Amino acid sequence: MKNKLGLALAIFIVLSLSACANATPAASASGLSGELNVFVWTEYMPDTVFQKFTEETGVKTNVSTYSTNEDLLAKVKASNAGIYDIVVPSDYMVKMMIAEGLLEPLDKPKITNLQNIGQGYLNPSFDPGNVYSVPYMSGVAALVIDTEKVAEDITSFSQILDPAYANSIVALDDPRAVIGAVSKSLGYSLNTVDPTELAQTDVKLALLKPNIKLLDSDSPKSAMLSGEASIGYMWNAEIAICLEESDRFKAVFPEEGCYLFLDNLCVLKGAKNSANANEFINFILRPDVSKLVSDEYPYTNPNAAAVELLPESYKDNPASNVDPAIFTKGEYVADLPASELERYDDLWTRFVK
Amino acid sequence: MKAPGKRGRRERIKNSVSRIFAGLVYLFLYIPIAVVVLFSFNTSRRNIVFEGFTLNWYKELTKNTALLEAFRNTLIVSGTSTVIATAVGTLAAIGMFRHKFKGRSLIDALLYIPVVIPEIVLGIALLSVFSIARIPLGLGSMILAHTTFCIPFVVFTVRARLAGFDKSIEEAAMDLGANRVKVLFGITLPIIAPGIASGAILAFTLSIDDIVISYFATGPSGTTLPLKIMEQVRAGVKPDVYALSAVIMLVTFLGVLGSQIIAYRGAKKMALAKDKGDL
Amino acid sequence: MKRAKKKELISLLAMVSPVSFWMALLIALPLIYILGISFCGTDEAHNIVLSPTLRNYARIFDPAIAGIYLNSLSVAGLATIFAILIGYPFAAIMANAKPFSKTLMYVALMLPFWTNCVIRLYAWRTILGSNGTLNFILLKLGLISKPLEIMFTRGAVVLGMVYTLLPFMVMPISTVLEKLDRGLLEASSDLGARPATTFLRVTLPLSAPGVFAGVIMVFIPALGFFFVSDLMGGGTSQLIGNLVERQFKESFNWPFGAALSVLLIAATLILVRLYTASGGQLDDLGAM
Repeated sequence: MKNKLGLALAIFIVLSLSACANATPAASASGLSGELNVFVWTEYMPDTVFQKFTEETGVKTNVSTYSTNEDLLAKVKASNAGIYDIVVPSDYMVKMMIAEGLLEPLDKPKITNLQNIGQGYLNPSFDPGNVYSVPYMSGVAALVIDTEKVAEDITSFSQILDPAYANSIVALDDPRAVIGAVSKSLGYSLNTVDPTELAQTDVKLALLKPNIKLLDSDSPKSAMLSGEASIGYMWNAEIAICLEESDRFKAVFPEEGCYLFLDNLCVLKGAKNSANANEFINFILRPDVSKLVSDEYPYTNPNAAAVELLPESYKDNPASNVDPAIFTKGEYVADLPASELERYDDLWTRFVK
Repeated sequence: MKAPGKRGRRERIKNSVSRIFAGLVYLFLYIPIAVVVLFSFNTSRRNIVFEGFTLNWYKELTKNTALLEAFRNTLIVSGTSTVIATAVGTLAAIGMFRHKFKGRSLIDALLYIPVVIPEIVLGIALLSVFSIARIPLGLGSMILAHTTFCIPFVVFTVRARLAGFDKSIEEAAMDLGANRVKVLFGITLPIIAPGIASGAILAFTLSIDDIVISYFATGPSGTTLPLKIMEQVRAGVKPDVYALSAVIMLVTFLGVLGSQIIAYRGAKKMALAKDKGDL
Repeated sequence: MKRAKKKELISLLAMVSPVSFWMALLIALPLIYILGISFCGTDEAHNIVLSPTLRNYARIFDPAIAGIYLNSLSVAGLATIFAILIGYPFAAIMANAKPFSKTLMYVALMLPFWTNCVIRLYAWRTILGSNGTLNFILLKLGLISKPLEIMFTRGAVVLGMVYTLLPFMVMPISTVLEKLDRGLLEASSDLGARPATTFLRVTLPLSAPGVFAGVIMVFIPALGFFFVSDLMGGGTSQLIGNLVERQFKESFNWPFGAALSVLLIAATLILVRLYTASGGQLDDLGAM
């Protein structure tokens, strides 16, 4: 006990000293002031963007991250209004959050850069007239294959259920994305609630299970790049980074159709820094800023003005500049009521045990 | 005393086996730390294999405001919680030691709960209460949560010290006319000070590396270092996180070394004084 | 005399009321709430509704969920056994060391725990991965022909648990062993008992409370440490902790998560009850 006493006392002092040395809040003057609390997916908004925003406006940004849409909703509901200002939900989650009265209408006159967004991305069915949301990034969940380890020509999701690929897949740790893809491989909707269809999905999930080496929503590319896994099921930007890193990787968009998403910038109801939030959204929609995001996280950028600034490497990368035909063939997630979601939760529990 | 030679040899074998075993345990504990230090000098950004030597990440670290701010938050949360928990816990330990009263066992039971139940249960329970009471999640809620799980450890540590405390000293002082507050600050607290200090240190140790409870109690302004690192680890560690860990480790190591030297000298002096019969 | 009584009361209140309020508001109240909602349901918008039901408890007997419980128990059980196998001899060596080496050993044991445990766990990936350091060395030496699959298995989760919780096993055992009456050991050996017999008949029974305290300090956290299973198991070997976390963080089913927590608390209380029944002191669990 005595040892520990001396030991930690010294550390306490040293740490406190370094805290003092550290406590120099950065403050600069401009039209706006105060803070902005952003709640965003991991690996989705680069630090450079936040730094640039702070430099230009003097607004300090606090960034927290989540890994799935459900994670976002749960945290927003559990915390009190005003904790976060900006969130980045996907299509179906925007709809759910509007329905639950969690979002605040945007200050549209302030968001002049909305004109930079491609026409096809505006006025979506989940938020007609873009009252609550503006597009941030879009994309698909697809497969990436390490061709040095996988000889077979993979074109469909059902092929990766082959026992030959035991313990070799890294997949998203996202129930809707994984269960949805398996349902689709059977020719069903990724939102199916039909009990017999879900029972068949469950059987296929049991075939997929032994092939899964790990589940990772945040940085599945790491397992591919390190050679830990030879097949990956992940978001398209993660695939795009794999393709950039090495020629041995190949992107595969399963012929059964992909899981699609359009992620959106929204302001939460009761946001304490609502003016800053609208300013930030307009800032993100600026072509040069949107380009910064795509440089780091190469999703399919709905910002037409930004795409013009992007290098050939973006346009030539099939996983970034995803073929529009894939979007036509794919399917978006629908929000499910609690009783149906519990079915999905049970399927998932069986899958991960 | 049979065959002392044989016994000596057996003793020697036992000693070397012990050394090897302890060495292996330390190897197990320190291999990951060696990796952390080594990879903080790695040129590769993706950090999967060691490619080459660089000091760049230490420079990057000074620019990583998010990481440094998380570090500052950690010190604020752990520092404040330690102070509050030590004050509340010490008072409680003395109060419960001095007085027998109804409800004492109830308080005791409440104190044991956070020590034994899985952290995750306490985490979600606190989150629900914060959410009902409309306590904003952030530094404040983090301090409340950390203080809550630190208090019992302070109480138990101080109580252990009080077990050897002679109540008659307090009574004597009171008979001589000192009031209760004076007795508390002038006599009781100084005597149990080492117990209070070790309680505070234990609280700080637990608080500074807590993940599970913090994970539920945190909000945007309350991201502490363990949470930030968890976030970055999930996204694939960049070597500047390793660099920060290496710096913290070095500081800790030097702090420990320094305090041990001081403690060792102090103990020596004390032993000398004792030999002379001064004590 | 009456005045003295009153003063006594004031002093008692001043010292004990802060802790009472704090614990009532932030321990008792939250746990009562958890117990309460474990009997509630949710509506279609995932809000908690007050309609008394045992459904959440019934759901625990679903084979999949029972499977996670079993997996969790086996991971925590294995971690505890390995922690004893490593921790007991280590504690014995520490308890018998000279004061200076004892201090050194203690400091060296605790030092790693001042560095963030997530980062230390993550480092294991670099060591044990398919293309990690260990496989690299073994392949170079020709001891194996293809990489060992260690990461993202249940074994890796157990290793992570032992790594994170080892000191909590070592400390209580070493404290007990230090206090052990050496006279007893000498008496045993003087009476002709072989070292093994002395250990089994004298040392082990006398150090049992320390081992039991260590078991509680390792086994219970191991049931809930979801981040260890995330980092080392890659999400494929889930524990009760992960299941609880998912109910609160993703599935919006707080009542079910609460029911799972109540079960965890019950398991804990049974273990602690056994501990106190066998003569263990609760305070020993909290003071390291």
